[in-house]
Amino acid sequence: MLSFRTTDYSGYATAYSPFFDSTIAVATAANYGLVGNGRLYIVDLTPEGIRERCHFDTQDGLFDLAWSETHENQIITANGDGSIKLFDLAAQGHLPTDGRGGPSFPLVNFTEHTKEVFSVNWNLAERTTFVSASWDSSIKIWSPTRPQSLLTFRRPVDSSANLDPTATGSVPLIQTPSNNITINSHDSGSSDCVFSAKFSPHAPSILASAHSNGRLSIWDIRSPQALVMDIPVNGNNTGEVLTLDWNKYRPTVLATGGVDRAIKIWDIRNLNPASASAPVSQTLSPRAKLGNCINVIYGHELPVRNVSWSPHSSSKLLSVSYDMTARVWEDRADSTRYAPHMAMGAGNGAVTTFDAHTEFVVGCDWSLWGQEGWCATTGWDEMLYVWQA
Amino acid sequence: MERLSKIATQLEQNCTSAVDKVLAKHPDDVVICGAYRTALTRGGKGGFKDTDSADLLAGILSGLIEKTGVDPKVLGDVCVGNVLKPGSGVTEHRAAQLAAGIPYSVPFVAINRQCSSGLMAINHIYSEIRTGEIDIGIGAGVESMSNDYGPQANAPFSAKMSANPEASKCTIPMGFTSENVAAKYNLSREAQDTFAASSFNKAAKAQDAGFFKEEIIPIKTTITDKDGNDIEIIVDSDDGIRRGTTVESLAKIRPAFKGSTTAGNASQISDGAGAVLLARRSTAEKLGLPIVGKFVRCRTVGVPVELMGVGPAYAIPAVLDDLGLRTDDIDIYEINEAFASQALFSCQHLRLDMKKVNPKGGAIAFGHPLGATGARQVSTLLTELKRTGKKIGVTSMCIGTGMGAASVIVAE
Repeated sequence: MLSFRTTDYSGYATAYSPFFDSTIAVATAANYGLVGNGRLYIVDLTPEGIRERCHFDTQDGLFDLAWSETHENQIITANGDGSIKLFDLAAQGHLPTDGRGGPSFPLVNFTEHTKEVFSVNWNLAERTTFVSASWDSSIKIWSPTRPQSLLTFRRPVDSSANLDPTATGSVPLIQTPSNNITINSHDSGSSDCVFSAKFSPHAPSILASAHSNGRLSIWDIRSPQALVMDIPVNGNNTGEVLTLDWNKYRPTVLATGGVDRAIKIWDIRNLNPASASAPVSQTLSPRAKLGNCINVIYGHELPVRNVSWSPHSSSKLLSVSYDMTARVWEDRADSTRYAPHMAMGAGNGAVTTFDAHTEFVVGCDWSLWGQEGWCATTGWDEMLYVWQA
Repeated sequence: MERLSKIATQLEQNCTSAVDKVLAKHPDDVVICGAYRTALTRGGKGGFKDTDSADLLAGILSGLIEKTGVDPKVLGDVCVGNVLKPGSGVTEHRAAQLAAGIPYSVPFVAINRQCSSGLMAINHIYSEIRTGEIDIGIGAGVESMSNDYGPQANAPFSAKMSANPEASKCTIPMGFTSENVAAKYNLSREAQDTFAASSFNKAAKAQDAGFFKEEIIPIKTTITDKDGNDIEIIVDSDDGIRRGTTVESLAKIRPAFKGSTTAGNASQISDGAGAVLLARRSTAEKLGLPIVGKFVRCRTVGVPVELMGVGPAYAIPAVLDDLGLRTDDIDIYEINEAFASQALFSCQHLRLDMKKVNPKGGAIAFGHPLGATGARQVSTLLTELKRTGKKIGVTSMCIGTGMGAASVIVAE
């Protein structure tokens, strides 16, 4: 296990570089991200441990980051002030020793969201776009070369807990050019925060989003009816869905984590209305289909803040939680080696519990590099840990 | 500020108490689809005096199947606790399973942890379901003390065991362990008789009110009368409950051993059986079976051999601690009354509210068919929880040779 202290800054997200096996970025925020500055750390794994290469300071907390898939020195960050910033490591940022260095300014500042941006995710399949999710209820698709967004999506405004079957069919789906976002902008950020949006690594036009109203939504950005699936993750209950991740090997499988402490595994291909509770399916429009929950993993004692499927295994999953632990699970739902019911149960799929963190654990990522099973976690205890599951 | 309130909301929804956690329903819970018992009848005298334990077991198993409507073919295992039959009935009770209509394809296992055997059978099925080995099974207990109780139940000890001071304690008769507990913890004869009288009175009241009807499956059997004629009878109620028992009437009974334990303040020698159908919740829902409760957890602990009666005093905290529950979170305690001394000590040690303990009486009033008791308690507890609209119950018993067991059960 290696560690690095992001002194005075609470970790919110961490990611391995897709280009260099020894480089990790950490998005952090002062004062637990409640108020104050943010800082993007770039650190290197060296034989002497983790060493800071440089950092970039921002005027509001950073909640997420994503490495560019096309440019080895570029990183985008999700900012508390609603901006998305593109940093270039070649511009160096501040050096750790003297607090000075090159300029800390971003190359590009994307400013369309009106509230906290909570997630950014690079399109792994097509590599030239990224997606952002914000508490202003919108999901935006961007190109790093254009200051304006390419597309904006919002869920129908009345689709919170119970969709009115008569209304949902007629609600126009919002897919407007970004300079037109005032149309259908309901300022409904408090009613629908988007906590995460991620492109499918298998299909460049499919993305999934996690919502404060308890929905996992699947979008096809080519379609005029972009919202293709709307899955009530908790049945009739509206517990917030805080995180999601696409399985890297099973194109139709996703994991969600949320306030109900459960990690749920979904297969969006096998749509079986009977698999969810009946009253919900009756209140949904035909378009808003139900996904098939193929596994539920209980174990975390508090909300699950982040989930990440292993890049090396179709069944390994890393999760981090407010309960101060990071855990690794073996999802057995897809395995013929076990009876189907073996998939369930808190103890059945548990592989590792990592309990070195002393505060909420918020960010996590698997290493793509070298020996499999290495991962990085960060949290409110101002620590980055690199450990082997 | 929105960021702070958001995190606060996310957390406060999870500030659930241990009680809420125990009550929460999950698809991988092990639920109880039905818990029934036979009547308990007096050893050598009662309605089952001429009924073999295998016949009793076949009766309760077929009754359980009929009551719950389960297709016997789907069962993953049948586990039956028994103490006194040679080999704990491993052959005879497999036969009883087949006679009850449970096909040969369903396996059978006999289990024996003395007086907790019925509970251990349930816990064995629970564990098999939890590990995913099976989806559904029956845990049961049966004892015919009329037929199987006696010196033949214990083989003589080897010279080495008898010479070892600790090991040789395992030969101490149960009654003497009761005296040891009474002496060590200063439990007077009067206190024990008061406890016993209360057990009789509660049981009589419960029987008069018909509270046992729901948990008892009537069994058709034959009994040999004093002239040697076999008569067919239906046994549907406990016959050991002595009405009008008072502390004064109990005080007249002379001690059975050396001090304060008497036939009046010790459990009765009885015949009977109990059986519980357990399943994973997802399986029970898929099969459309009734769900009457949840088997939450069971623990067994060791205690000094010569003080075996203190078992509940240590087993109950063990299982409650696992779940984060406090003693006053429990609505009803079913604590086996092997002897008034040990049951009373256990309650006092845990500072239990006596109104919550054995509200329908206990083994002193209606008997303690050793291997059956653990399963019998579950049906007695569940029906009382449901009748009174309560939720969380505990069953517990002391175990000969120095152990205690306790389980937590939720009514749904």
